[in-house]
Amino acid sequence: MKRIEAIIQPHKLEDAKEALKNIGVDGMTITEVRGHGRQKGHTEVYRGMEYKVDLLPKVKLELVVPDPRADEVIRTLANAARTGKIGDGKIFVYEVADAIRIRNDDRGDAAL
Amino acid sequence: MNELAVLPLPSPDEVQQTLAGRTAEVEERVRAAYASTLEPLFRTGLLVAAVGGFGRKELFPHSDIDLLLLTESEKSLPARENISAFLQTLWDSGLRPSHSVHSVNDCVSEHADNAEFTISLLDRRMLAGDAALWELLQQRFRQFQTRRAAALARQVGGLAEGRRTKYQNTIYHLEPNVKESPGGLRDLQTTRWLLMLEPREGTPDLSGAFHLMAAIRLRLHEKAGRDQNALTFDAQESLSEHPAALMRDYYRQARLVDQAVRQALEVSTEKAGTLLGRFHEWRSRLSTSDFTVSRDRVLLRGHKPPQDLSLFEFVARHGLRLAPDTIARLQGFAPETKWEDWKRLLSLPKASVGLSAMQESGVLPNALPEWRNIECLVVRDFYHRYTVDEHTLVAIASLESITDGRFLELMSEIEEPWLIRFALLLHDVGKGSGRDHTEASVEIARGVMQRLGAPQQDRETIEFLIRHHLDLSGVMSSRDLYDGSTARALADRVGTLERLKLLAMLTYADISAVNPQAMTPWRMEQLWRVYLMAYEELTRELVTERIHDAAGMPAERARFLEGLPTRYLRTHSAEEIDAHFALAQQLASRPVAVEIQHTQGFYKLTLLTKDRPALFASVAGAISSFGLNILKAEAFSNAAGVVVDTFTFADPHRTLELNPPEVDRLRGVVRKVVEGKQEAEKLLRGRPKPFLSSRMKIRPRVSFKDDASDGATLIEIVAEDRPGLLYDLANAISLAGCNIEVVMIDTEAHKALDVFYVTHQGHKLGDEIQSELKSELLAACATSR
Repeated sequence: MKRIEAIIQPHKLEDAKEALKNIGVDGMTITEVRGHGRQKGHTEVYRGMEYKVDLLPKVKLELVVPDPRADEVIRTLANAARTGKIGDGKIFVYEVADAIRIRNDDRGDAAL
Repeated sequence: MNELAVLPLPSPDEVQQTLAGRTAEVEERVRAAYASTLEPLFRTGLLVAAVGGFGRKELFPHSDIDLLLLTESEKSLPARENISAFLQTLWDSGLRPSHSVHSVNDCVSEHADNAEFTISLLDRRMLAGDAALWELLQQRFRQFQTRRAAALARQVGGLAEGRRTKYQNTIYHLEPNVKESPGGLRDLQTTRWLLMLEPREGTPDLSGAFHLMAAIRLRLHEKAGRDQNALTFDAQESLSEHPAALMRDYYRQARLVDQAVRQALEVSTEKAGTLLGRFHEWRSRLSTSDFTVSRDRVLLRGHKPPQDLSLFEFVARHGLRLAPDTIARLQGFAPETKWEDWKRLLSLPKASVGLSAMQESGVLPNALPEWRNIECLVVRDFYHRYTVDEHTLVAIASLESITDGRFLELMSEIEEPWLIRFALLLHDVGKGSGRDHTEASVEIARGVMQRLGAPQQDRETIEFLIRHHLDLSGVMSSRDLYDGSTARALADRVGTLERLKLLAMLTYADISAVNPQAMTPWRMEQLWRVYLMAYEELTRELVTERIHDAAGMPAERARFLEGLPTRYLRTHSAEEIDAHFALAQQLASRPVAVEIQHTQGFYKLTLLTKDRPALFASVAGAISSFGLNILKAEAFSNAAGVVVDTFTFADPHRTLELNPPEVDRLRGVVRKVVEGKQEAEKLLRGRPKPFLSSRMKIRPRVSFKDDASDGATLIEIVAEDRPGLLYDLANAISLAGCNIEVVMIDTEAHKALDVFYVTHQGHKLGDEIQSELKSELLAACATSR
């Protein structure tokens, strides 16, 4: 099993969800997050007043899928969230040791 | 639970029967158990009484059965095994009583750590045992209650406040607990207890509330098979075909209970003479010929309130609350309101306090019948914490507690914040209409504004705000903020900076009032980015978006408009454009056309002429030399090099008002400086120096932006306003050899917000000129003339 974590632009969330649904992936956790990539901390001027902007709003999407599906899910996510500009975000993939469904103790892929 | 058929709520009669039936049944079993175990052993000196809910004969299927075993004295306590036999019999018959054993002395002394016990005795009822002992308790408890009424009331109040705090002091829970939540059965009982302890008149009838909540609690107990009082989403669906309607009823009743209990608690806690009390008394000096202020509460001097909203303006101006007596006298009060009344009320810094007082006293729906559409209306989802009317009031209040520096700044830049408040008041009134609520709200608002006699301009702004109240939220979540077309589309829809600011603050308030946690730093940042993006687009448009080939216009008119910024069309009415066009016609026979109008306490000077160096500065100087205070100014030019300058100014010394010939003289002086026959600098030299505080409240800021337009540099200046400031700034720009292309000047209280688009020999300003000009401008901001 793989845990896939994608940090994407907020306006791409609906596209990403729709694309995942189309390939049969429904379950996911979504969090509103703030962060920055390489170009960190710039200041912004509004009417002569300076504001430090170091954290930009993004959306984090997390899901766990069986190994054979991981590549397809990653490709789908990347395509759906891409605008081609700086700030599109990143996808991280982790190994998952096990999954347990709390309701009935299902384990592994069956728990997903 | 969803699959189960809906089991409707029992009628008030059925509730009464069920509670009475349950009480009688339990009573019988307690009597039987007493008769078979304790009675044979204790003919005198012992009795069993029902206390708490059981004492009130309000026994729900699974609520606690509170029993008191009363003994004559501490020494005559029955043996443990005798009591055990009694309780065992009850357990065997399926009851789970909570019991306590106390002497008469116990019952009439205070228990700081067990106030619940004393309070449960307020609802005592003898079941079986020594009748003479009961008489003794009755007599002594009555004395105790009279003597210690105030202390007992404080204990009741303390318990209620502790419980209410656990529920954040609000009735608005998506899944309320019908017993414990504010506005629930426990609060209802609290008002009864306080009334028992300190009888008062004019207490509201809460029987409707009791019947609804008791009916719900009954069903919850039946369904769960235990003392379960949380009205969960599942439970709401199992109790009604229309859960939203059920919840609307629930909140209506809970609100009545909540108001009643808060009033009762206030009376019982206020008696203590505290330091805070003395502070409240100090506020009594706010009293007027119409209203008396006592302990922070407003009382009416006359028998009836004034027919307008002045009572609520008074409340909002000083952040006070209505006294219970005032609320009682306001029942059925329907003020006759006009547009100006609402404008005055909503312009006050604590407008939300005034509106809440109107809501609390029931005056709001009388003054604004459309308000009834959303009273206690429930939005059933996991995000909306409040009913629609409460959401509206919370939204308006959220504008009074902004902590983020950027939004505070933005709010302070808005000239007529009451427009946001009025738009908020009606932005959701179309909810519950069954169709798109935005359109429905716009229609309803239109009717309201017509009735109140709102001027055209206000109507348009408010309709715009309501129609687009969801737009910025939409852009926040579903548009690419880094895509230029998003900014252009939004700028197009919003039209002007003024409207953008109003809409941004309205959105801020609307989001903040979804639930207490809704305005996360994430959303705040997103909203700011949307605002900034549209702000930059609109400022950029000032110089880049020009009118070209104005469609459907006569040729001469089109020639006049050609090359003016599109903002000109968006910010001027057809009548104003007509007037400007007429002035432009005068230019055929004279070099300068000037017009001065006096409207709503301000003067407006419109000037048309051929552009020439330092023109704007000269006119600003001429106006200031009369001791007039420039509040706003705009300067635009068309393709033919004709400038349209407008200056709005105040007349603080009433120079023009008291000396009408001065208006003509001002017109003449403006003409002369434009024609170069007089120097503004010389005119200003003769002015007395204005008093300036040595401590500058606003730190002057000057910033340059080169990317704001294709051909000009944007200069933004924020500074403490003072007479002659605009002249000095414009003059500094002219002296640096720069040409002012477009100007937008605004003043908020003592803060000047100036935007100049400037070129130097037809191009953007070079770095060297920028740094020189920056220090010149900063110097101009910092000095007094």
